[in-house]
Amino acid sequence: MTYLNKMIPGQRGKVIGFTKDGKLSRRLLELGLVPGRSIKYIRNAPLRDPMQIKIGSSFLTIRHSEASLVAIEVED
Amino acid sequence: MKTTSEKNIAYTGNIAICGNPNSGKTTIFNVITGLKQKVGNYPGVTIEKVSGHFFVSKNNPRKYKLLDIPGSYSLSAYSPDEYIAASSLFGEQTNSSPDAIIVVIDATNLERGLYLLFQVLQIGKPVVVALNMVDLAERGGIRINNKRLSNLLGGIPVVPVVGNKGKGIDKLKQEITRVISQPPSSFVISFGEITENLLEKLKNQFGNHYNSRAQYLRVIFDEKGPAERNFISREGEEAFALIIEGRKQLENEFGSLLYAETHILTDLAEKFSKEVTKVNNSHKRNISETIDKYLLHPILGPIILVITMFIMFQSIFSWAIPFMDIIDKAFSLLGEIVKNNLAEGPLQSLLVDGVIGGVGSVLMFVPQIAILFIFIAILEDSGYLTRAAFLVDRMFRWCGLSGKSFIPLLSSFACAVPGIMATRTIENKKLRFITIMVAPFMTYSARLPVYSIMIAAFIPYKSFLGIMNLQGLVLALLYLLGIVMAVIVSFVLKKLINKKERDTFIMEMPSYKVPSLNSITIRVINRVNAFVKRAGTVILAITIIIWALSYYPQSGEALKTLANKKAELVNKYQQENNKILNDINALFNNQKGGISVNISEMEKKFKLAQNDEELKRTFKQLSETYPEQTNLLNLYYKLNKQRLIHQKVLAELSNERAGQQIRSSYLGIMGRKVEPLFKPLGWDWKITMSVLASFPAREVIIATLGTIYNLGAGVDEQSTSLMDKMKKAKWEDGPQKGKLVFTPAVALSIMVFFALCCQCAATLVTIRQETLRWFYPIITFTYMTILAYIGGLVTYQIFSRMGI
Repeated sequence: MTYLNKMIPGQRGKVIGFTKDGKLSRRLLELGLVPGRSIKYIRNAPLRDPMQIKIGSSFLTIRHSEASLVAIEVED
Repeated sequence: MKTTSEKNIAYTGNIAICGNPNSGKTTIFNVITGLKQKVGNYPGVTIEKVSGHFFVSKNNPRKYKLLDIPGSYSLSAYSPDEYIAASSLFGEQTNSSPDAIIVVIDATNLERGLYLLFQVLQIGKPVVVALNMVDLAERGGIRINNKRLSNLLGGIPVVPVVGNKGKGIDKLKQEITRVISQPPSSFVISFGEITENLLEKLKNQFGNHYNSRAQYLRVIFDEKGPAERNFISREGEEAFALIIEGRKQLENEFGSLLYAETHILTDLAEKFSKEVTKVNNSHKRNISETIDKYLLHPILGPIILVITMFIMFQSIFSWAIPFMDIIDKAFSLLGEIVKNNLAEGPLQSLLVDGVIGGVGSVLMFVPQIAILFIFIAILEDSGYLTRAAFLVDRMFRWCGLSGKSFIPLLSSFACAVPGIMATRTIENKKLRFITIMVAPFMTYSARLPVYSIMIAAFIPYKSFLGIMNLQGLVLALLYLLGIVMAVIVSFVLKKLINKKERDTFIMEMPSYKVPSLNSITIRVINRVNAFVKRAGTVILAITIIIWALSYYPQSGEALKTLANKKAELVNKYQQENNKILNDINALFNNQKGGISVNISEMEKKFKLAQNDEELKRTFKQLSETYPEQTNLLNLYYKLNKQRLIHQKVLAELSNERAGQQIRSSYLGIMGRKVEPLFKPLGWDWKITMSVLASFPAREVIIATLGTIYNLGAGVDEQSTSLMDKMKKAKWEDGPQKGKLVFTPAVALSIMVFFALCCQCAATLVTIRQETLRWFYPIITFTYMTILAYIGGLVTYQIFSRMGI
């Protein structure tokens, strides 16, 4: 298990859960970061932060600091 | 368009339209209501409340009200801003919930849309689903069976639409007005035993206080949210114990309260989505993903962004200028006409300098606002705006801003007014206020005239360190000063304002799409309208107040002297004129056989001459045509020379009168009163007063200086006569009496002051309009003026000590 911000661009992973409950986790859930779902880490912004991820058919941008909240199981 | 008869028809029903951000909800709203929109505000928050109305068809007189609910992913809310969507659907503010609800779902993002839909269904009102962007979904290989979806949802109508092309809109209108009189759908979602039991208990106990399951659900699930607070204040702490008890059970069951609702809804959304969606994998991959490869490329991305921004920035600057010139010319022409047709006096001055000048200065902003919002609408609707924010976020973050502040701040370089209006795309309140409060530092298009005249008059044109020109260097440093201050201030504000609120940058990047012309037009027109109506009136009022302060009190004595002087001049001129005319007549009578000259033509030609040079040219030409009429031509020359001198003297007198008036006006008195305060900046009362007069707009300082120095208000930043006057101006009293007022140090202190101050009524009024409180413009004005004062003080003290 690792965290979303520790992944490498191009990697896929499965959402496990959140390290902290609250507003931010709820927002992420509503945007589709639901435990069990697959995500793909697409790329970083030119200055390395924030990052772009894909869930289902939609794209999200999220900062690395926020991504550290999301526990991930990396898939190969 | 609105007609009175249309206005008087009562509403048949109230409908609300809601949906995820980027679901195309606003586009659909715009297509349905067109320009029949009303913009207001939700009480207590800075979110715009937009509503409109529509008719089902041309022949159907029934009128429906449509309320645009701010875009949201969910009804759950932790702050008053977030609670707007939910509470307006519940009808908490108006005590009347909408009669029916349209839920817009992006077909390319079905699951997320269903999540919100499920929550909305708990309200228990008739609902119609607008399945938007079905064309885009199909192009991406996604086919949604809308009939099947409708069946799964217990018969709720699902209407496929393409909002930006207006497809399916008529059907949507028909369906929503059909279901409005029907009972709500029987579709029920069970939230599990614990929640359902709790809901049952709450309903039994407080049934008549709350009208829907949805409201109870918010109280249960949104820990420490507005719904919970409302519940406690209404029902008391004791009743709340029931909720706490239930939450404990839910935590035991789900591991966390967080999952108690989301788990059920996301699972159901996934299940429904899988059942109605057919994905055609043979289709080529997501087109947005391909575009992103280039637009978000580490090197190419920033280059494309810079080019896009450059084009946008250039357009605000250059495309707007011809329009602004036309407006400017039209209003000065109008002023001229009024001036010539009204007797000199308070009414004429009020109309010309107050009203016409004020309206003109409001309308001058319109081209810039319109052009900027065309760009922003295109950037936003195409999906690029989020990407631009993504690219620059890191750069802005370290000083407390975010990628979303980028476009508003960049636009502010052209003009702070549209820039501040552009902060609407920033949802985070704290971030938005910081951006608004530093935006005025960026403006320099209005500062430019002040810089140009001061630099041209007082900064020597010589090379500096061999590469740069000193004048250019000063200008560049002034621009830099604004940016540096903006960075410092936003850094400080970030530390000061509400440390608790965490700034997030979680956004959806919508699929790229072609923006609709219709939607853009409506948005731009609404923006311009809002500015002219709301900001315009206040700006006009301020202009009139400043006019009155610089016009009154009228010194009767001085004016009388001037009037007498004028009468004397006119009298003298007429006498001299008559003398010359007599001479001409005598010449005619003496010349035997008459004169074979076209007299009237000669007269006309002379009269056309408006200055000495033209007069001489005319004289020379006519001497060549009529070599034998030297005497006659000489007389005509003399006659017209007199005319020109007289015109000049009268203009000077009129300027003197204006100068006299402004110097003895309330503004002049104020200038003298506060002179001691600004003396450490090297300013005399005339400069102080001009700065006071330039409160409505910085560039006014030039016209004011022109008036004070008896040159009239018509001077501009290239006026050499104003530069001369300033160079020669001397202190009238005090220890420096007789010394020059304007030294390079004084010019620098004025420029630094103007670089940092917020002397722009339009900007301040726009800040009020955007933040809904006078607190913010007052704070902005105060802190910027203090900074400007300190800046001017330090500049003057340093440079004057260096003997500059």
